Amino acid sequence: MGGCNRHVDRKREMASGSSRIRWGSVIWSFAIAVVAVMLPGLAWAHAAEQGFVLLMPTDIYIAAGAATVAASIVLVGLVPVQAVVRVFRPLPLRAVLCPERAATGVSLLSTLVFLALVWLGFKGPNDPLANLLPLTIWTLLWVMFVVLQAVFGDLWRWLNPWTGLYRVVAASRRPPFQLPQAVGSWFAVALLILLNLFALADLAPDDPERLAVVALAYWVITFLGMVLFGAQDWLARVEVFSVFFRLMARLSPLRFGPRPAIGWPGWQALERPETDPSRAVFCLVLLGSGSFDGLHETFWWLAQIGINPLEFPGRSAVVWPSTLGLLAGNIVLVAIFALAVAAGMALACGQERRARLGPAFTAFSVSILPIALGYHVAHYLPSFLVQIQYVGVALGDPFERGWHLFGLGHGHVTTGFLNNAATVRVLWLTQAGAVVASHVVSVLMAHHVAVHLVQGRSAVLRCQAGLAILMIVYTIFGLWLLASPRGV
Amino acid sequence: MTNIGKKTSLLTRRRALQGLGAGVGAMAATGVLPGLSRFAHAQSSAPIKIGFQMHATGIGAAYGRWYDRTTKAAVERINGMGGINGRPVEIVTEDDGTDPKRGAEVLEKFANQHGCDVAFGTLFSHVVIGSAPRAGELKLPYFVVSEGHHVASGMLNRYTLQPGITDVKSQVQSMAPFVAANLGKKVTMIYPDFAFGHDHRDFFTEAVTAQGGEVVAQIAIPPTETSFTRYFPNIPRDTEVIYHVMVGPAVLTFVKELGEFFGPSRPEIFGFIDSLEAVAINSPGLEFLEGTYFWEGNPRHAQADQTSHDKMYRAAVGVDDMGASVTDSKDVSTYAHMFGCWETLNIIKAGMEASGYQGPADRSTLIEAVEAMSDMPMSDDHPQGPKRFNGKTHQTFGVQYISKVTDGKLVVVHTASIDDGLYEDEVDYTTQSF
Repeated sequence: MGGCNRHVDRKREMASGSSRIRWGSVIWSFAIAVVAVMLPGLAWAHAAEQGFVLLMPTDIYIAAGAATVAASIVLVGLVPVQAVVRVFRPLPLRAVLCPERAATGVSLLSTLVFLALVWLGFKGPNDPLANLLPLTIWTLLWVMFVVLQAVFGDLWRWLNPWTGLYRVVAASRRPPFQLPQAVGSWFAVALLILLNLFALADLAPDDPERLAVVALAYWVITFLGMVLFGAQDWLARVEVFSVFFRLMARLSPLRFGPRPAIGWPGWQALERPETDPSRAVFCLVLLGSGSFDGLHETFWWLAQIGINPLEFPGRSAVVWPSTLGLLAGNIVLVAIFALAVAAGMALACGQERRARLGPAFTAFSVSILPIALGYHVAHYLPSFLVQIQYVGVALGDPFERGWHLFGLGHGHVTTGFLNNAATVRVLWLTQAGAVVASHVVSVLMAHHVAVHLVQGRSAVLRCQAGLAILMIVYTIFGLWLLASPRGV
Repeated sequence: MTNIGKKTSLLTRRRALQGLGAGVGAMAATGVLPGLSRFAHAQSSAPIKIGFQMHATGIGAAYGRWYDRTTKAAVERINGMGGINGRPVEIVTEDDGTDPKRGAEVLEKFANQHGCDVAFGTLFSHVVIGSAPRAGELKLPYFVVSEGHHVASGMLNRYTLQPGITDVKSQVQSMAPFVAANLGKKVTMIYPDFAFGHDHRDFFTEAVTAQGGEVVAQIAIPPTETSFTRYFPNIPRDTEVIYHVMVGPAVLTFVKELGEFFGPSRPEIFGFIDSLEAVAINSPGLEFLEGTYFWEGNPRHAQADQTSHDKMYRAAVGVDDMGASVTDSKDVSTYAHMFGCWETLNIIKAGMEASGYQGPADRSTLIEAVEAMSDMPMSDDHPQGPKRFNGKTHQTFGVQYISKVTDGKLVVVHTASIDDGLYEDEVDYTTQSF
C-alpha cells in the first residue's frame, strides 16, 4: 500500500502547476475518446505496453472519468424525469434492413465455414497465431463480433451456425422435451462461467486442436439441445453465445426485422422490463468476468496470490487462484449490486423494499450491460489491434504455404503503435473513454428503469442512490485497472 | 561404473566427430558446403522437422513474435541453400503459452505427434527449466535460446543445449573489465529484488571485485514497485557508476525518475538493454539515457563499421538500420536476443551435417556432433560474432557489446572478448549417458 500511495503522490506532484490547462485537455481528450468509442472501425489499443501508461498522469484521468460519471448522475437528477425516458424512444425506420428469407442460407453458410474452421483446427497450422480457428473464435467472434452486435444489432440471428441447419432438418418436428421454466437461463450462466474459465484458466485455450475438440463438441451439444428442446428455448436460455450476443444487440441503436427502428443505445433493452433473474445474473457475470479478467493481470492481484509480477510463472501455476478468483469476483459483484439496489429501494420504498427488491434487482440489471460492453472494449482493444493483423495474414495463407490469397498475407504483424508514447496515449484514452461512456449510458438506462419501477420524482431519484455510488466507484475501478501495471 | 566401456567408445566417437564438426563448421561458415545442389543426394527427401517452441501467447509473446520472424528467415535461407543433408527444413510451431507445464506438453507433441527431429527456440528460463526434463525423457535434442545460466549450471541434462546465445553469467562477467577501467571503480547496483536481479548482483559483484573495483551499494527494489525516487538517496555520494538492471513495465518510470533525481550532474550509468528491449531508445522521457552505457547482445543500431554479415542478417529478417521492422519503423525488434535463433538453427544444420543425421535414431549422434563443436568464426551463419561452444557445459560463449547512447543512437564503444566471458565449468554433460 505504501508503494501505491507514493505512486499517487508522485503523480500528484507531476500534475501540479498547470492543473487548469491539463483539466481542459483531459476533458477534451475524453470528449474525443467518447466520440471515438461510438464510431465503428476506429482502431483499438493494446494495454500490454504499460511502461508508457505509467508515465501518463492517469490519476488525473481517473478523477476526470469519475467526475464525468458523477456529473451525468447529477444532470440526470436535475432534468425532468420524463426527459430521460424520451431519450430512449426509437424512431421507426421504413427500410427493411435485412430480409428474413436470407437467414437460413446465411446460417447454413456459417455452418459450413464453422466446420471448415474446425477441420483447420485439426489439420491446419499448429501455431495459434497462424490458425484461423482460434483467431476466428477468440478474436473475430469473442472480441469483435460482440461489438458488432452492440453497434449493428442482432447479426447473430443470421450468422449463428445452427438455425439454418435446424430449419432444414428439424424445424417441422415438435421437440420431444421442454425446458422447465424453473431453470430460466441458469444453464447459460453456468456456461458463461465455464467459457470464461476456459479462456482464463485453461493451459492452452488457443491451441487449435484443443479448441477444435471443444468447439465441435459444443456445436454438436447445442444442435442436439435444439432438436430435443426446441431451437427457440435452447438458444434463448442455454446457448451462451446466443444469450450473450442477443443481450449485446439490445444495446444497439438499430433493430432489424418486421419493425425496424433506430434509437439511443440501450433503447431495446428498455423496451420491456427485464423479469428473468437468471438473465440478470448473466448480465452481472458478463461484467464480473470481464472485470476479473482485467484484475487478474495486475501487480495488485499477483501480489495477493504471492506471485512476483516480474516473473510470472505461467498459467499452470495459477489455475486455482484464477478459477477461485473468477468465481469469487462474480459472487462479490452480484452481492454488491444487490446491496446497491437494496439501499436504493430502502430509501425509495421504505417498508415495501423487501417485496420489491427481487424485481428491482432484475430490472436494474440491464443497466449493467453497457458497462460490460465498455469493459469488453477497453480490455480487448489491446490484443485486438495485434490479433486482427494475424487474422489478415492467416486469411491470406490459411495453411501456411506462403500463399497471398485476397492480396493478404504480405508484410509483417506490427506492435509498433504500442512502443510509442503518442499512440499509447491515444489508445489509453480511447480505452478509458469506452469505460466512462459506458457508465454514462448505464446511468441513463438505470434512470429509465427507475422511472418504471417506482412512482414519483423523489422515489425515482432515491432508488438509484446505491447504484449511483456503485457507478462512480466502478468507473474509478475500471480506469484504475487500465492504469495499473500488469504482470501477465 | 558399469558403462565405462560405452563411455569410452562414445568419447572416441566424439573425438572423431570433433574434427568433422570443426571442418564442417568452417566450411559452412565460409559458404563452401551448402547450395551445391538444392535438396540433392539425400537418402530421404522428407523434411527435417524442427519443433519451434514459441512464446506465441503469455508474457513472452513480444519476444516470441521476433523469435518467430528470425526463425522463419533463417530457415528460408537454409532451404535456399539446399536444406540440411539435402533435405528441406520444416518448422513445426507450437505455442507454449510461456508456461513450463505447457512447454513440456509441447515437447511431447513434437516428439510423438509431429515426428520432429529436434526441438528449438525457447527463451524464458522457467519454460526451459520446466521442459528440459521432458526433453530428456523423450530423448529429444532441445536447443534453447534462453540466455539463462541454467544450462551451464548443470541443472538440466544431456539433451538440452544452448549453442547459439551466451548466458547471463558470461554477459555480466564480461562487462566488468570495461566498467572498472573506463567508467569507474565504485559501483552502486540497482536491481529488482528476485532471482534475476540477484544473479546480476552476485555475478557482477564478484567480477568487478576481481577487476579491482568495489560495489559500494546494492539497492534491491521490490518487484511490485512502480516509483523509485525514495530509493535514490541510498546511492552513496562517492558512486562513480550506477549499474541498473530494472525490468518490467516500470522501467521507463525508473529512468525518468533517475534523470529527475540527478539532473545534469550524474555518475556514469551502465545498464542492460533487456530493460529497454523493443523500446526506441529515443522515446520521449528517455532523454536522460543520452551518454549512458548499455550491454547489447547484438548492436541494435547498424554501426559505422557494420559487417556484411550483420547487413545480410538484417535484410533477411526484415530489420532496418535502427533495429526496427522494415515495414514499420516504430516496431523495434528484440535485436539483442533474436540472433540466437538464427545462429542456433545454423548450428543444428552444421551438427546434422557433421553427424550425417538421417532421422530420430541419430539424435544422440547429433548431440555428440554439436558437443564436438568449438570455435565458430563470425560469418553469415553467426552474424552476431564469433562463438566458442563448450561441449561439456552445453553453453556457448561469444563477444559482448557495450554501446553508448550518442545522439539517440546506440554506438558500440567496446566489444568484450570471448575470453572476458569464460568461467570455470560447472558440469560435464558428456559424462551423462544417453
